[in-house]
Amino acid sequence: MSDVTEAAFPRFPAPPGRLETIRKRYFRSPVQALISILGLGFLGWILWNVLDWAVFSAVFDAQATAETCRAAGGACWTVIAQRWRIILFGLYPFDQQWRSALACVVVVAMVVLSCVPTFWRPARLASVWVIGTGLFYVLMKGGVLGLPYIGEEKWGGLALTLFIFVATCLIGFPLSILLALLRRSELPVISKGVGLLIDAVRSLPLLSILFAFAVVVPFMLPSWLQTGKLYRVICGTALFFAAYQAEIIRGGMQGVATGQDEAAKSLGIGYWHRISRIILPQAMRNALPATINQFVISFKETSLVIAVGFFEILASGNAAYGTGEWTFAYREVYAFIALIYFVFVFSLSRYGAFLERRMAVGEL
Amino acid sequence: MTDTARAVSIEGMNKYYGAFHALKNINLAVDPGEKVVVCGPSGSGKSTMIRCINRLEEHNSGLIEVLGTPLNDDVGNIDEIRREVGMVFQHFNLFPHMTVLENCVLAPMLVRKTPRAQAEAAAMRYLEKVRIPEQAQKYPGQLSGGQQQRVAIARSLCMEPKIMLFDEPTSALDPEMISEVLDVMVSLASDGMTMICVTHEMGFARRVADRVIFMDRGEIVETADPETFFSAPKNERTRQFLSQVMGH
Repeated sequence: MSDVTEAAFPRFPAPPGRLETIRKRYFRSPVQALISILGLGFLGWILWNVLDWAVFSAVFDAQATAETCRAAGGACWTVIAQRWRIILFGLYPFDQQWRSALACVVVVAMVVLSCVPTFWRPARLASVWVIGTGLFYVLMKGGVLGLPYIGEEKWGGLALTLFIFVATCLIGFPLSILLALLRRSELPVISKGVGLLIDAVRSLPLLSILFAFAVVVPFMLPSWLQTGKLYRVICGTALFFAAYQAEIIRGGMQGVATGQDEAAKSLGIGYWHRISRIILPQAMRNALPATINQFVISFKETSLVIAVGFFEILASGNAAYGTGEWTFAYREVYAFIALIYFVFVFSLSRYGAFLERRMAVGEL
Repeated sequence: MTDTARAVSIEGMNKYYGAFHALKNINLAVDPGEKVVVCGPSGSGKSTMIRCINRLEEHNSGLIEVLGTPLNDDVGNIDEIRREVGMVFQHFNLFPHMTVLENCVLAPMLVRKTPRAQAEAAAMRYLEKVRIPEQAQKYPGQLSGGQQQRVAIARSLCMEPKIMLFDEPTSALDPEMISEVLDVMVSLASDGMTMICVTHEMGFARRVADRVIFMDRGEIVETADPETFFSAPKNERTRQFLSQVMGH
């Protein structure tokens, strides 16, 4: 009986083995085989060189001298061991740097909590941000609870980079939603005016906006507002962020069917609830990939504040190898900073992918 | 709040899209509990007319009163009318990012300030009425067209409306799903709901309507009870239309 079935319905052919798959994909013809081998060889050569520099010929001894390093020929990780505190904390007073480290942890925790869906309630988000920002300030600035006062001009390194990024997003994101809504206003004065503002900001390089807020704006402000260059610069980056993000959100809103708004209207739901419960959640889903992109770009663009005199992580890195004996070890410092950037930006991208998967559920 | 006897009263209403005269001198009075079916060729203005009743479209002149409340630029009046008038759309327009149950409880909770437990109990009651309670935790995208439209009806009913507007509720459905939606509408009609339905379902009109209205080129051409409308239409355009929709 079983023989009959076997004959009538031949088994599905067994999937090819791994070797067979490789042969089919990369070694189908002599030319293809040659290209595959050359490509593989080239990759191997690059990998070998990187590993040789970073691991095999590298110096890992934290106490090694610059001479030992140069003799070894590979990477000199000693510089990281000796200068990591400058890279991470900049000009922050040495004996107080634990506060800066703790402040970084606070900011990261604040961001991570904001990313967890359980916290997506206005009250919860607001309390996370108020508590997080408060803790950050107490730690970084001090002047209370027996912590010595440390002014913003001494903040630096990773803590400053994170602070500028998070502040930019916290101000820029709500602002971008506001701009997107105003841009869709039925009153031409408002929609055209906001459109002009967005286009104006987008036509300027971020660098010129930073200079404007750091240097030019103080002339237009009353004297009691002329302090706090850091906060003016953050206003500039937030405005820049908002101009781009507003267009991303507007694009997302255009992707929401008009029937959604009409259905909500017919149920008697008011404007703000229609926007917050019906339109924006769907618009944000449409705009998610571009939004993550915008966050990533903004994180990396924080390094531009170096031009108006702030020692964020890249500038602190320059300072770390720029003094005396370690000038030759700039590659190691940049590799270290690149790794830090990578960890943050890669986490952001993975979070974006998680959100996309999660949001796809409601759209099955 | 003068004439509370009428559910909907429209007098001399006109509507323009730029230079195009979309609705011409519309007069219509609907009593509480009455079922009115509006039919006519596409582009005749029937959807536009019922969309004027809850201000999804703005009329340019004439008077509209819904449950005694005049429909004008007063936002308070518009809100009041929308609370009492439910609407079902051709393309369902369920909120895709919310479950069926969330779709149903959203408006009662936001607009009527109903506590969640109470709103959910009411929602389940209406989902049972449209015979779909087992889908409460699913997302709209997981349901068939007929199921989605029944959810849309339940969602509207959750606001306990006094009037229901139907804008071609079966036109986007596959043929085998039309009857499940019509059955729900028939049972709603037998409960005494005031209904204004734009539809091409002549069988439904014959069975349920107190009055059938025929519209063409922005005008109400003929109004009659279903019996007269289908057996002895007076107007030539009505006869032409009927021969087209009933001819096969």
